[in-house]
Amino acid sequence: MAIAILRRLAGAAPAPAFPAIGAGMRAAADDLFLDGRLIRADSIRHARILLVAGPVREADQDDIRRLHDQMLHPRATLWWKSNPVPDFAEPATCDEDDPVAAIEAIHRALIEGARDSEPDILPNEPPNPWRGKGDYGQGGEGMMGGTPYGRPMAMTDDDLRDGLALDAYTAPFGPFLPMLPPGLKLSVTLQGDVIQTAKLLRPPSAQAEAYDGTVTALRALGRFLPILGLEAHAVRCLEAARSLSAGKPIELAKIRQFLFWSGALAAIPSGIGMVEDTDVRMRVERWLAALDESPTGGLDGSATMSPLKPARLVDLLRGREWSEAILIVNSFDTDTLISLAPVEAEDAETEGRAREDGIRMDHEGHGTHAHGATGT
Amino acid sequence: MTQVLAIMVLPLFLLAGIVAAAVLDRAVPPLVAGRSLKASFVGPITVASSRAMGQTGATEHPDTISWILAPILYFTLAAIGLSVVPFAPGVVAADLDAGIVLWGACESLTVVAVFLHGWSANSPLPLIGAYRYVAIGLPAMLLSMFVLIAAALPAQSLAVTDIVEAQRSVWNIVRQPAGFVLFLMLGLSLSLRGPFDFADPYDLAGGTTAEISGAARLTWWLARLAMLVSVSAMTATVFLGGYLGPVLPGFVWLVVKTGLVLVVLVGAGEVFARLPPDRMMNLIWLALLPLSFLMLVAVGVELLLWG
Repeated sequence: MAIAILRRLAGAAPAPAFPAIGAGMRAAADDLFLDGRLIRADSIRHARILLVAGPVREADQDDIRRLHDQMLHPRATLWWKSNPVPDFAEPATCDEDDPVAAIEAIHRALIEGARDSEPDILPNEPPNPWRGKGDYGQGGEGMMGGTPYGRPMAMTDDDLRDGLALDAYTAPFGPFLPMLPPGLKLSVTLQGDVIQTAKLLRPPSAQAEAYDGTVTALRALGRFLPILGLEAHAVRCLEAARSLSAGKPIELAKIRQFLFWSGALAAIPSGIGMVEDTDVRMRVERWLAALDESPTGGLDGSATMSPLKPARLVDLLRGREWSEAILIVNSFDTDTLISLAPVEAEDAETEGRAREDGIRMDHEGHGTHAHGATGT
Repeated sequence: MTQVLAIMVLPLFLLAGIVAAAVLDRAVPPLVAGRSLKASFVGPITVASSRAMGQTGATEHPDTISWILAPILYFTLAAIGLSVVPFAPGVVAADLDAGIVLWGACESLTVVAVFLHGWSANSPLPLIGAYRYVAIGLPAMLLSMFVLIAAALPAQSLAVTDIVEAQRSVWNIVRQPAGFVLFLMLGLSLSLRGPFDFADPYDLAGGTTAEISGAARLTWWLARLAMLVSVSAMTATVFLGGYLGPVLPGFVWLVVKTGLVLVVLVGAGEVFARLPPDRMMNLIWLALLPLSFLMLVAVGVELLLWG
């Protein structure tokens, strides 16, 4: 009886979905989650439905499988305008522009037990065998170090910032972390929350978002503001962008006013992410300036979209705290980011070599679903 | 007898506060986002039911006991903190001579509860959230001690009941408005909210909650709301005269004032931007802490000269 009531109530709750966004689907996914019948899960652990939006690159297929296995039961996957990755049994697909009904149906079926929870795809085991060589089976010499199971044991390392040597920690982040642009995958060595080194493993997926003055600025703000804890303001911006693209009039003055009082600009540290003499704060100021202009005019598209060959994203992130790094990454549009993250042979090599050496804290390389949802 | 009454009222107060906070949490963000207002009691209940049904989550080699205990500790601290708040004249669950000190202990142990929650997941992003919270939480609690001592000075007592009675002539919010604002900031920090949510933010994919789901996430959510209620009641008591007020019974005044602080905290959590941790540390250590100390001195001088 109690369970039946619980199920009825849970079935009426918004469906928690985690979007794994492929090429060209970022704006559509952003718009989709403005719908009150869905909740955009910040972590795959909070989701019941994995929504794969758009085509998945071949390199990302393994990440999709891992992401799926990290989702807790009951769970399901919906392929929205996407081709299911092999190994998914009886995949549910949806090619409509608005998949909310399909997501809701799957969610309700899961809750009511009409639909079975999807089983694991990958084996739940470490990626590498235990390679301990110390006296007590640990990885390295003495009591520390080494790479048991292909994951480095904590070892202090030199620090970039203040000389306080902490345990260096290397892990891959992306390609579907919600606060990074879809497709971007980095291998990051952290001490505390300071990035010591970052390596590009995969560039962001191309989004082919046509440049459109105010709309572009609003969308950029919608993605940037949650990092400053301004989720509601972000929703306001994304809704305005959607309305504006649909040709409806919106009140831009109100958005500017709210953002002014939120202290968003003052919260951004100056001088971070400097590319061509503009830092993160100036780029955000440019978006705000674009709200002043006419919808089609606005900021100079060519200035923000020009290829920025000399700068590299990984160099901009070095020595930055995690949240500053996330601000930097999100201050660029996808095209600029791709030009800052050149696909070089070395990147693919780095990934391969890292796997061989087992030098990475390998959330990525191992099949288990019981570890590191956040890494993917 | 009145103490027994207070002990019976406390869980009801906490429960009603949690429900109110959950409803506000659903109503305020759409308001800030410029959408139509949809305050409902059913919304939070469906979400809670949905969470109650899922699995709780598991990582490789988590510190399981700490993982389970952290939300319980957090919730308990909220309840213990609330126990020093007088609901009406003489009606208080823990009428201690040093009630403010007990509250201060609950504040500082909150840092431990939140840290444990992030640490025990054995995963990078929750761990970063945990460390960050300690870095910000520590100076924030330090600051609150100065603010609370300044509030206790006019009463010449560390007992919360005395602090309320000392506000019969003038509320502490008039005496030290900046202290009130600082204490609201502490409230945001204790309940992991908006500009002070350094433990569970978006840029860490939910921070200390990134690896949990189901009932574990539900308890953590409830504990956060409980702490929000507790800190709201404490703010109302220390700065807004607690149960003092004309015509209406004291308890009603406390409820009204607590509700008001609750609305302000939930609103502030949505409206103001969060500084990156390094910037926030500088702000707290270099500006807010000296400010709170100066205020303490100012109150002391005032009492010496005119008290």
